[in-house]
Formats: sequence, structure tokens, C-alpha cells
Amino acid sequence: MAAILTVLFNGVAYGFLLFVMSVGLSVSLGMMNFVNLAQASFSMLGGYIFVTALQGYGIPFMLCLPIVFFAVAIVSVVLERLIFRYFYKTDDLTQVLLTIGLVFMSIAMATYVWGGTYQRFDMPAWIIGQKDVFGLTLETYRIFLVGFGAVMAVTLIFGLERTNLGAMVRACVDNRRVATACGLNTELIFAFTFAIGGGLAGLGGALSANLLGLDPNFPLRYLVYILIVVSIGGMGTITGTLVASLALGIADVMGKYYVPQFGSFIIYLLTVIVMLWRPHGLMGRGA
Amino acid sequence: MSATEAASQAAAPHEAGRDYFASLARWKVWEILFWATLAGCYFFPDIDRMLMSRVIIWGLFAMSLDVLLGYRGIPSLGHAVFFGVGAYVAGFLGKFGWTEPISGLFFAMFVAGALGLVMGKLVQRVTGVGLLMVTLGLNLIVFDFVLRSTELTGGDDGLQGIVIAPVLNYFRFDIWGRTAFWYAFVVAFVLFVVTRMLLKSPFGLALIGARENPRRMLTLGAPVEGDVSRAFMIAAALAGAAGALLTQTTQTAAPTYLSFQRSADVLVILIIGGAGRLYGGFIGAIVFILLQDYVSALSPVYWYFWIGLLLVIIVSFFRKGLLPSVEQLYDRLRSRKSAGPPG
Amino acid sequence: MKTALSMLAATALAALSAQATTAQETLKIGVLQSYSGMTALGGTHTDMAIKLFQQKYGDTPGGFKLQLVRRDTTGPNPEVAKRLVGEVVTRERAQILIGPDFTPNTLAAAPILTEAKVPSFVTGAATTGIVGERSPYSARTFFATPQLCKPLAAYAVKQGWNKIFVVAADFAPGHECEKFFIAALKEANGTLAGNLRTPLSNPEYSGYIQRIRDAKPDAVFIFMPLGELSIGIVRAINDSGLKASGLKIMGTGDITDEGYVDAVGDAALGVITTGIYSTQHKSALNEEFVKGFMQLGEGKHRVGWSAVSAWDAMRIMYDALESMKGQKFDPDKFKAFVYGHKFESPRGPVQIDKSNGDIIQNVYIRRVERVNGVLHNVEIETIPNVPFK
Repeated sequence: MAAILTVLFNGVAYGFLLFVMSVGLSVSLGMMNFVNLAQASFSMLGGYIFVTALQGYGIPFMLCLPIVFFAVAIVSVVLERLIFRYFYKTDDLTQVLLTIGLVFMSIAMATYVWGGTYQRFDMPAWIIGQKDVFGLTLETYRIFLVGFGAVMAVTLIFGLERTNLGAMVRACVDNRRVATACGLNTELIFAFTFAIGGGLAGLGGALSANLLGLDPNFPLRYLVYILIVVSIGGMGTITGTLVASLALGIADVMGKYYVPQFGSFIIYLLTVIVMLWRPHGLMGRGA
Repeated sequence: MSATEAASQAAAPHEAGRDYFASLARWKVWEILFWATLAGCYFFPDIDRMLMSRVIIWGLFAMSLDVLLGYRGIPSLGHAVFFGVGAYVAGFLGKFGWTEPISGLFFAMFVAGALGLVMGKLVQRVTGVGLLMVTLGLNLIVFDFVLRSTELTGGDDGLQGIVIAPVLNYFRFDIWGRTAFWYAFVVAFVLFVVTRMLLKSPFGLALIGARENPRRMLTLGAPVEGDVSRAFMIAAALAGAAGALLTQTTQTAAPTYLSFQRSADVLVILIIGGAGRLYGGFIGAIVFILLQDYVSALSPVYWYFWIGLLLVIIVSFFRKGLLPSVEQLYDRLRSRKSAGPPG
Repeated sequence: MKTALSMLAATALAALSAQATTAQETLKIGVLQSYSGMTALGGTHTDMAIKLFQQKYGDTPGGFKLQLVRRDTTGPNPEVAKRLVGEVVTRERAQILIGPDFTPNTLAAAPILTEAKVPSFVTGAATTGIVGERSPYSARTFFATPQLCKPLAAYAVKQGWNKIFVVAADFAPGHECEKFFIAALKEANGTLAGNLRTPLSNPEYSGYIQRIRDAKPDAVFIFMPLGELSIGIVRAINDSGLKASGLKIMGTGDITDEGYVDAVGDAALGVITTGIYSTQHKSALNEEFVKGFMQLGEGKHRVGWSAVSAWDAMRIMYDALESMKGQKFDPDKFKAFVYGHKFESPRGPVQIDKSNGDIIQNVYIRRVERVNGVLHNVEIETIPNVPFK
């Protein structure tokens, strides 16, 4: 029984890990309808900034997180002004190719700046090790991840998706001209949302990099997972991303425990079945 | 598409349908020039023939995706599956004694095409992101299967013991890549001609129609969903041929042949060249593969930077790829010359 | 004006003298490694080792003027590797190869190397039966899978760790290593507590770790390819508390490779691995090698196995070419020298097998410890002259 509960908890924790990794893309894709694969590069950047702050400057862990968020948000908004904003109206495929091109470039640049090796993370003592909770031995970092992810999800769903800002962003995406006519500063709203998406991706990178390993190939390696989570959840919904993350996380860990010979088939198979069954994702709005 | 072509498309089908298709099918000078130049590469001193046959194979592969994406508007993130299936079928044939390459190629095309038909039936109602993710998911599943089944496929080591007999029982696949070049060239050319005929026929027009406006095509009584699976079948058979070519010319088959990376690369190649033009795949392959070879020899660690930059530049300034942009430029120049200032 | 003229004269003179020295036979050496993608580090380290070697020994062994021709195999990609080998051999007319890396690439290159009689050094592929068996002019300076996968079984049983759980990456090298280890375990009368094959793209180990926990083994034996998998699994076992509760972690040297062990961090402390080379190996040659490498990499790179394999390939090549001084290059003579050659490597004594060019070398059992604040693989036991089968 303890084993099952531990596995279940680990599945939930993995689900939240997937959530923090993919929520950045979910924001840009869901709210702005922009297929920004470079979110994976923002995650990598977040990871590198995090490790530099933590390791290089000895900044406390909890202070590193807001630093990462704002730093990546600033970088992403600069790029938005320089490049991305010219591509809001293009089709999905153009956006995919533009941003995958940027991902390629980011890999080479990261190799140039930080070298090709994996980074070293020395996490603070309070966050590593295990804790006994209700008779279960759980990993402290996973408990932290679940808590942090949950707070993040609630904040985003009620602070971004279901607020005036969310409505304004959607208005801008759906009909830019009318939105402008209604007095909305579309440029500003887009830039702002883009910055939030970028910052979140960076935060995701910082929180996941110590578990997943950080090297210049980080974006390519985890892009597929991010894509799977966001599209299964459905375009245009952070709630959907959360549901998909948890479902995939639990299914993956449970699958590896009960039928280890299936390996990663379970996630892929789920992807195919869900997308055949609901091409717009579990909670997608549909086209 | 130039204005004149669009006009003839609108007017023609009623009375002079046959003439219309005949005019579509007529070979243009630059097309003949293109193939002649490609063949002429062989005689260029100091040319890397294995590299050129690789370019041709990638060109054929990208053209197969063009049938789906360019002509029917179906994006696929799992096209390497068909390439890989073709490669492994050809490899298994060679391993188990059926070493004759041309029949092996046909058989590989047949298997890949059949798989394409099944895949097409599976996804014919799915569009957009759903389609991308289904094809991606299937790609990952097949890749994982091949990689893990060491006993069956050799797994990561690749399929071993592939023997390919000389083409026509005479031309041996040598290390100089002489046979490889001509074999790849002839096969690619023949398949190109067949595909060109297909696409410049009513079937091809129906594909374009379904890409532009599926609902309208349905009201015209055209079988839009059936088109999807048939387009998938053709594209898959062509991709299978490309895969079989690679296996036969190099006597190797490995999991990377059906990796997601390959699916992504072929998409990039097609977009660089320009989708919906049939030649876009070949142009893209020439640019991408030669650049890859050149830049990666120059600065191997950072070559991805340049390919990324190329992609960004192309989608920024040539939105539709190299070939259509050149075509547009040519059309503009010609119309200025012949008809004076456009009215 | 005057200075420009004199400069011109000087360059002309320099060109002339350069011509005079290149009168000797130029020998092209193809270096086929991965320089891009997920496995780029191997290529980088190979290059550094070659550079270091040439800094010390020059580039004209036996009077042959060496010219390096580099190509990027892009990882385990036999189609690319085969084409590049063909290109380097036919167009560039390279006469000796270092590489290609990875088993599938090595296998794909073999027919060309055989046909063209080009000696090659296998510096980055470990599968058994891929050296002289496939191309009669090749020699291995890396290691063969059984050298690393067998010895730990007997060692563990000797330590009293009888129940052992095996975790291997689910691809051909993992399958091969698993096979050798389980066979050796049976021979040593140990018990297999269970075994798992884990996927190659796998960010999450907790489900597998719970299975290990349920089986209650004394030790776990791990085979993972270098990279996020080898780092991830050691960290995951540590984070789960299994290591603290007494589970011993063992594996091939991949899981504590010098290039990656810093990223594993303290989780790696106490991990027992088999290895062919450690920067901590006590010998004058090794100390000099490590020092040179660190200087060359400005301290950013730690010496890994690809570096020492490339260094040894250079060593053998230079020895062989010196032996052919004054003669024309002849692959058969080259092979005759290389096969059966014995020499001192930074890793210890090494011998190339006489019959098929595979490698016979010491295998070291190592434990990860902090030495001067840095994680190192400290050799605790030496198993001399381990065969490649």
C-alpha cells in the first residue's frame, strides 16, 4: 500500500514538473495563439541563469527563482520586439520553423557561452533528502515541486486566464483591429503576455534543470514532452495543461512501476489516442 | 502563382479541360535544365558522388512530403516512419537473400505505401495540431520499437549483413559512389516524372482543391477524406523509395533513419526549398545538405547556428521558401518586359 | 616602402623553406568523430588529445608529414559515417583513420576500410567483435564491453553483496552489457534480484526506483550511456533515499565519468565503477597527460576516456610510423606493427591483440571520492590484462 501511494505521489510530482516545464508554451500558444518552440530555449536560458546565480554568485535558492523569472522575461520581451511580433499573423508552420531555427541557434550559442558539458547543481540542504509524511518517505524536492506547481497553477488560472487581462489578450488575438478600436493597446498587451510566457518558461527551466540535467541540448531533448503536454491539454487553456501534465505524469510513473517493459510507449500511445479522439486536446476550445 | 496561370485555371476546365491539363503537363525549359545539371554533376571533377546521391535521396524524400504538405496541406511530423520502413524492408530483403535492388525497391515502396494508406485512414479526420501530434506520436513509437528490438533489427547497431547485388547484375555499388549516383538519380527521376504526371492530372487538382477549400470540394462531390489516405499512400511510397535507395546505396539501415530528427529535417528542407512546387524538395535538399556538409566541416560545433540562422532568414524574407521567391521575381521581370507596366 | 619590400622578401623566403620541408611524404589522417549534437563532447576531447600529443611530439613522425582531415559523424549515424569515410578515403586519400566513433558507424565503415586497406583506430565504440573481425586493418584503443561489464559481479559477491539488481538502458549496448554482467554474476554465484531496461529518452526514474526498492537488493548495477541518463539515475537513486539506506551503487565507468561526475555531484560519492582510465591513476605519464590536458582546456574540461583513447591511437600511430622511417607508407607493415604492439598509456599498460587488433588492458575498480574538493574516481583494485571477450 505504501508503495502504491509513493508511486502515486511521485506521479503527481512528475506531473507538476511537466506542468512547470510546459506552462510557458501553454501561455504563448494558448493565449496568444503563437507556436513558440523557442520557449524550450527560454527554459534552457532560465536553467543557465539559475545555475549561474546559485552556483556562481551564491544567491539563495528562493531568491534565484524571481531573478530567473524577470531576467528571462526581459530577454523574451526584447526578442519579441525584435523578431516575434512580426510573425503573430503568420500560419502555424511558419511559426514552427522560425522558432525551431531560433532553437538551433540557441543551442550553438549556449555551447559557446557555457560549454558543452552538463552543469553542476548544488541545491540547498533544506530542499534535498527525504521527509516522512503520513508514514510515507517522500523526496523533499518533489514535495516542494508539488507545492510550488500548485501555487503557480492557481495563480495563473485565476490571475491570468480568468481575469480582465486574459480577456484582453484573447480579444487582441481574435480580432486585433476591433480590439485596437476599443482602445486596447494591443502591442503592449502582446509584449506583456509574451514576457510572462517567457518568464514562466525560464522558471520551468530553473526548477526542472537540476532533475533533468542541463546542457546545450536541453531544448531539443525536452521539446517533444512540452509539445505533448500542451497539445493534449488543449490549445488555449492553462487548466488543460495542468490536467494533461498530471494525467501524463501519473500514467508514466505508474506505467513504469507496473509494466516497466512498456518503457516510454505509454506516454506516446496516450498522445496518439487522445489526439485521435480529441484533436483539439482534452480541454481545447476547438477551431 | 502567376496571374495568367490563375486565369487559365478559372476559365479552362469547362471547354478545354484536356488542353488545360496538357499545358500543365508540358515540360518547361528550366525543368530540363535542372535535371540535366543534376546529372551533369557526375562529370564535375573532384565531386563527392556519395554526397550528391545523398542530396538526390533527400530531395526525393522531401518531394514525397511535398505531396502531403504542399499539395494537400497536411503537415506531418512523422514522415521519417515511411522512409525508415522503406529502408528496413530493403535491408531485410538484402539480408535474407533477395539482393536484387530494383525489385527490392518496388517491394519497399509497396510496404511503405500500404502503411501510408493505413495511416491516412487513421488520421483522415484529424487536422491541425492534432494531426501533427498523432504523426509525431506514431513516429516516436515506431522509433522506440526499432531501437529496442535488438534481436530483430539490430537496434542501435543498425541492421547487419545487408547484401545488395549489382544493379542489372552489372553495376556494383563501389566505394567511389559511381553506381550509387546513377542508381539514385535514375530512380529519383523516374519517380519524379510519375509524381509530376499524377499531380498535374485531375487527381492533383483535387488535392489542391481540398487544400484550399475542403468544404467546397465536398459539395462538388469530391472525396476529400479518401484523398487524404491516397495522398498519404503516394507520399509514403515515395518516402519508402527514398529510404530503400539510401539502404541500397550504403548497405546500412539504422534507427536514425526513422528518428523524429529526420522528420523535422525533411520538413525544414522542404520549407527552405518551398512547398507546393514539386522542385522545392530538391532545391531544399541541395541547399541544406551541401551547406551541412560545408559548414559542418568548417565549424562542426557551431554548424547548427548557421542552419538555424538560414531558417530564420528564409521564413523572415522568403516566407514561402527559395523556389517560389525566385519564381515570383522571374514572373515580375517577365511581365514587365513582355506586357509593359502592369495595368 | 622599404619595409614592405623586405617583408615580401621574408615571406618569399619562408615559403621557400616551407616547401623544402614538405618534400617529405604527406600522410593524411582522417579524424571522424561527433562534433555536433548530443555527443559533441567526445569529438571535442578527441581533438584536444590529438593537439596535446602533437604539441609534444610534433607532426612529422618517421619523416611523414601528418595532415589531419576532420569530419563530423554527427553521432551514431551509419549512413553519414559511411559516406564520410568513403569521402575521406577516396577524395582526400586519407591513409589512416581515427574513428569513426560509435558501434553502428564502425560497422558501416568496415567494408570501405577493408576494400581500401586503410588502418583505423576504434576510439569510441565498445561492442564486441567489431574490430579485426570486421576490418582487418583496424585496432581498438577504447575498451570492449565485457572488460567493464563482467568484473563487478565477482567483486560485489566478494564484498558480500549477493543480491544484485541490474538496470540497463534499453538499446543494443545496454542489452550486451546486461548479458555479460548477468552471466558473470551467475558464475560468481550471486543472485539476480531483478532487472530493468529503461528507455533512452527518460526524464523520470521514480517508477523504476520503486521497483528496485521492492526487490530489496544489496546492490544495483547500472549501465547508462553518458549524458543526462547516466547523471539522472545516480541522482534519482540518491534522492529517493535508497543510497542512504545502504544500497550500493555500481556500474560501468559511464555513470561517474570525469566529464560528467561534477553534474552528478555528491550523489556520486561512494559509487563503485569499473573503468579503463582515471585521472587519479598513479603514474608520471598520466600526471603529465592530465596537466597538459587541463592547461589546454583552460580548466574547463576534465580528461575523459575519449581523450585517452585518442592519445593512445596517436601513440601507436607515431610508434608505427617511426618504425617505417625512410620507407613508403604501407598499410600491411603498419598493421604488422600495430597488431601485438605493447605500450605504456596514461591509463596503464596496454596491449593490442595480435590476432584481431582488439585491446587487452587493465581494468580498475574505482570508488568516487573527494580529492582536494573535487570528485574523482579513485582506483581501489586493479584487474590486470583483462581480455576483450
